[in-house]
Amino acid sequence: MEVLAQVGAFGQFVARFVRSSLTHPLPVRRTMEEAYRIGVRSLPILLIISTFVGTNLAVQGYNAFLPLGGQSMVGMFVALAGVREMAPIMVASMVAAKAGTEMASQIAVMRIQEQIDALQVMAIDPYWYLVTPRLLGILLVLPALTMISIFVLMAAALGVSVAQLGLSSHEFLVNASNAARPIDLFFCTIKASVFAVVICLVSCFYGFRSGAGATGVGRATNLAVVVSAVVCAVLNYVLSEWLFG
Amino acid sequence: MTPESAAIRIVDLHKRFGDLVVLDGVSMDIPKGRTTTILGPSGTGKSVLLKHIVGLLRPDSGQVWVGDVDMAVASERQKLQVRKRFGMMFQGGALFEDLTAGENVSFPLRYHTRMTEAQRRERANEKLALVELPDVYDRPTSALSGGMRKRVALARAIVLEPEVVLFDEPNSGLDPLTSTTIDELIVRMKERLGITFVIITHDIVQAVAVSDQIGMLWKGHLVAYAETPAFVDSEVEIVRQFMARNLHR
Repeated sequence: MEVLAQVGAFGQFVARFVRSSLTHPLPVRRTMEEAYRIGVRSLPILLIISTFVGTNLAVQGYNAFLPLGGQSMVGMFVALAGVREMAPIMVASMVAAKAGTEMASQIAVMRIQEQIDALQVMAIDPYWYLVTPRLLGILLVLPALTMISIFVLMAAALGVSVAQLGLSSHEFLVNASNAARPIDLFFCTIKASVFAVVICLVSCFYGFRSGAGATGVGRATNLAVVVSAVVCAVLNYVLSEWLFG
Repeated sequence: MTPESAAIRIVDLHKRFGDLVVLDGVSMDIPKGRTTTILGPSGTGKSVLLKHIVGLLRPDSGQVWVGDVDMAVASERQKLQVRKRFGMMFQGGALFEDLTAGENVSFPLRYHTRMTEAQRRERANEKLALVELPDVYDRPTSALSGGMRKRVALARAIVLEPEVVLFDEPNSGLDPLTSTTIDELIVRMKERLGITFVIITHDIVQAVAVSDQIGMLWKGHLVAYAETPAFVDSEVEIVRQFMARNLHR
């Protein structure tokens, strides 16, 4: 029952947001600020994690294929698992944990300090002012971060495969490019865009519904990251089936 | 009072949250160009009443007329139009922490006027001077004291030169001297700007000092509403108890 009520409230929130966005001008400057904030702040941790996910995929792929004598298939394994699956969901999880929690907590604090009421009394639509630039910003940035993650992950996997596992770089790249087609990169941007919408709307929704005090803000932030991550994980499966199935 | 002379007309307003009845048939006219204070202890629905006036809450029944718009049933678009005629000073200031004091004041100008950056700055400085904070435009909001925050919030509330300014507990959390400064500021502003002020407070000293008329909310009812001298001499028992207790303090 509680879940149904939450879904209903989320539907109302989204409808209100869509109506506000369609009846107001595009907040270009604030969108750029949000894109910069989400992109630049998430980049360092993204580079580190992508690097080591790439190295581990290569090592585990090698260990899995070695008994079968197919260690040259590491490139294919990294391309399929890394490009199609790991990179999009990993970037989404990191952005949910970093930018999503920031969105939820900022809006929750604004809610309890009556800043959202103040916006409304100043005749400024809070859905347009707070949600629209965040959504557009994350939509610009998340696909780009996913592409960067894919590149770094593949480069790290190639590096480990050649330097540590003694595989041929040519073989790695040929197998990788046979497994993951260029259109897969486009499909990854579709995944990233869907995750961007989920992370932003879920985080802003819980921020807007925050209860009073530090407990309310903490709960809103926690729910934002947990729900975003779970919904993205489920959608990742659905999208993979649809796009790569 | 004729409907034309009322800035805000509240008719038989009812609001409950779950089982808790907060407003139980409140009716009152708030006249144009005067200062009206709604008094009452904490938890009697003062803030809820204020939020109905600006359309932040929708009543269970009753009407809230601002001009010819009933905020109880108005669309979001109508509410936005009406709110452009309001300024509001929130209890905690509700200032945006990532902006400076002056940017907070000029914030509504950015969205509701075609002023240039320089014009916005000039208007904000003019309003900051009115609240006796002439040199704080570039000061971070976090570096302001409680009293300064309230005054910046007041400057923001009047920057669009609204017809009605609403105050939610303007003296809460302030020391007596700063409270007196705020009271004097409200009186001077009203004399100078001639706009309608609506104040909610539990501070009887402030209410008497700044108001043309005072109403008292008690358990969801408006138990008294009169010109300030008549209110002070009210025979209503709860009003007398409330005044005696607060004045004694």
